[in-house]
Amino acid sequence: MARHHHAPAVTRRAQTRLGLLLALPALIMTVVFFLFPMGSALYFSVVDFDGIDPTPEFVGFANYTEMFTDPEVWHALSNNVIWIVIGTAAPMVIGLLIAVLIWSVQRGSVIYRLAFFLPFILPGVVIGIVWTWIYDPANGWLNRALGAIGLESLQRGWLGDPSLALYAVLATAIWAYSAFVIVIFLSALRNVDIELVDASRIDGANAGNRLIHIILPQIMPVFLMVLTLTLVGGFSVFDIVFIMTGGGPADASNVLGTYSYTQAFQLSRIGYGTTLALLITVLSVPFAVALNRLQRRMALQETGV
Amino acid sequence: MLFVTAAALALSACTGGAPSGEAENVPQETAAQQEIRYMIGQPEDPADLKLIKEDIKKFESENTGITVKLDVVPSENVRTVLQTQLRSGEGPDVFGYDTGPGFAGALARAGLVYDLTKAYSDNNWPIYDFAKERVTFDGKIVGVPNQIEEVGIFYNKDIFTKLGLAQPQNLGDLKAAAQKIKDSGVTPMVVSDKDGWQGGHLLSIVLSSDVGSDGMDALLNGEKSWDSPEVVSSLAVWQDFQKSGLLNPSPTAVTYDSGNAMFYSGKAAMNPTGSWLALDVERNAKFEVGFIPFPAPDGPGIFSGGLGSGIFISATTKKADAAIKFIGYGLTEEHGRWAVENLQDIPAYPVNTDGIEATPLFKQILDDSAKIAEGTGDFGYNIDVLTTDAFNNTMWKGVQAVLTEQKTPEKVAKELQTAYEKSKK
Repeated sequence: MARHHHAPAVTRRAQTRLGLLLALPALIMTVVFFLFPMGSALYFSVVDFDGIDPTPEFVGFANYTEMFTDPEVWHALSNNVIWIVIGTAAPMVIGLLIAVLIWSVQRGSVIYRLAFFLPFILPGVVIGIVWTWIYDPANGWLNRALGAIGLESLQRGWLGDPSLALYAVLATAIWAYSAFVIVIFLSALRNVDIELVDASRIDGANAGNRLIHIILPQIMPVFLMVLTLTLVGGFSVFDIVFIMTGGGPADASNVLGTYSYTQAFQLSRIGYGTTLALLITVLSVPFAVALNRLQRRMALQETGV
Repeated sequence: MLFVTAAALALSACTGGAPSGEAENVPQETAAQQEIRYMIGQPEDPADLKLIKEDIKKFESENTGITVKLDVVPSENVRTVLQTQLRSGEGPDVFGYDTGPGFAGALARAGLVYDLTKAYSDNNWPIYDFAKERVTFDGKIVGVPNQIEEVGIFYNKDIFTKLGLAQPQNLGDLKAAAQKIKDSGVTPMVVSDKDGWQGGHLLSIVLSSDVGSDGMDALLNGEKSWDSPEVVSSLAVWQDFQKSGLLNPSPTAVTYDSGNAMFYSGKAAMNPTGSWLALDVERNAKFEVGFIPFPAPDGPGIFSGGLGSGIFISATTKKADAAIKFIGYGLTEEHGRWAVENLQDIPAYPVNTDGIEATPLFKQILDDSAKIAEGTGDFGYNIDVLTTDAFNNTMWKGVQAVLTEQKTPEKVAKELQTAYEKSKK
């Protein structure tokens, strides 16, 4: 520090310039990808913009007041909660189990890896469309399969039944997301110390104990990272619901994402739609931050710092 | 400093810098060779797209100096894509869009569409007056309606004949026929309401037949309430049909295309939808098909008729003359006959259909449509082209809720009235 005080003014200015220059890329990124969209969203949330009128009326907090008193917001939010709970727990459990199984299989593991990796590389839109066909009440594979094995009584209009639509879409999402979880866990498992696993086996630990007490702690930072992504994804889920049900029938499978889209782009209420989108952001940020902190703490513990 | 600039940018860019509107202020291109961009929604049948492309080639060969770049957008995205492009001043020169107040009306209010009033008088475009009124906003004619449509029920005449059923003359007849068809192991009526918009047609056809055109006028003008007993009973008809097993299972899980496929394959005997499907019906159904109105409680009922989409020019086009020429090309007697014969489109201007080769089904639709145009005969309305987005959204969800028994017809009717009142504000 002391040396800086003695540095000539020219050098100090040069250093300042260099510092600014080096910080500039990050600054530009923050402005373009965070501050600008955020400012824009905040602006839209206080006007009544119909997507066309260039001078929308300022409405203050009217959109926010409406949001808190709109029963459909609470209904959509409750669907998000169902999505977050089931849609996080199921792929984490399924993904972890399958990843560990593939990891421990020596022969043919490439084929397994490929098979489980495939849903991950398919775009969400394709998954949504293909599964819509699978669920089709008349010609869909699912109802046909149920019919073929004598379970006609279980045949349903899966995506048109208000009590089932959300869960039918969720099942598709779990199928697709489990693939992502498997891929990430498989790469994390490469770093697991096999000697520890073998030692615990000699000590008499069964498969469950080995998974929970030996393997899981070693991949915990990755586990938390995947957990964060899944949880936050649960708040912002949109594409798969939009494609498969559009939030219907009659709002039965609406989540905040589809409700926000409907308001903004189908009813031309950009202001209210943006306010709903801000709610998604506000709800998901604390989860992301908390889990990120936890993950960092775990990583530090692991490296013994 | 950067932050302040960014914030200012954010605020100024928020509304996309909408163009100020009137085309007279837009400098026009004078080049001898001009390309206009024409945006349309994806037609139901790929064969129609091929015909449209051939037609554009013909226009280009007759109008050297103008080329047309066809821009086909998935139908469900037209609204978003178009609004975004028009607002940013990068809209297509010519585009197809719905004519209703929630569609073209909204664009007109924002000054995003070209005023065609002068083009109408300069070129003597022969559009029917009732059709012109639908695209006139604040005294300006902003579009050219290109299609007359009617909504009713397509039915499989072979199945009806085989079961000894006559064309239903009232609602009781229809229900009795449906029951007989059900007993024979065929789905009586296929209702495909997964997409939601079909709900508007379902309500339109039952309600139009029940209250007649005067009743529909009263509802749409606000003189009659949307929670009146007729609206409730019209919604109840669909819930009753669903509960009685006279529809396919899970109508709200069936897409429009799947529903039509059930009808084409003979798995369902009736398909309530619009005359725009007539050409596809003829291409796909291997049996004789009839087209009837949804019967009224005490009579054969009336069709719901109206305008489909129209053609518009962007307010900021730099090639207005070329665009007007392109629209004019589609408004000749010769082109009208071509559209009738090839696309089975019914133009919104008089076309002499003598000698046109048409199937009995299409001939019937043509004759009916002529009556709409002439103002003779009683026709109901297709509600969603005359109401706002908010009302339509309530109606579409409401019919889904009735079919899935999430709501009673009474509750949905009340919601319709609330939506109507809100829309009027």
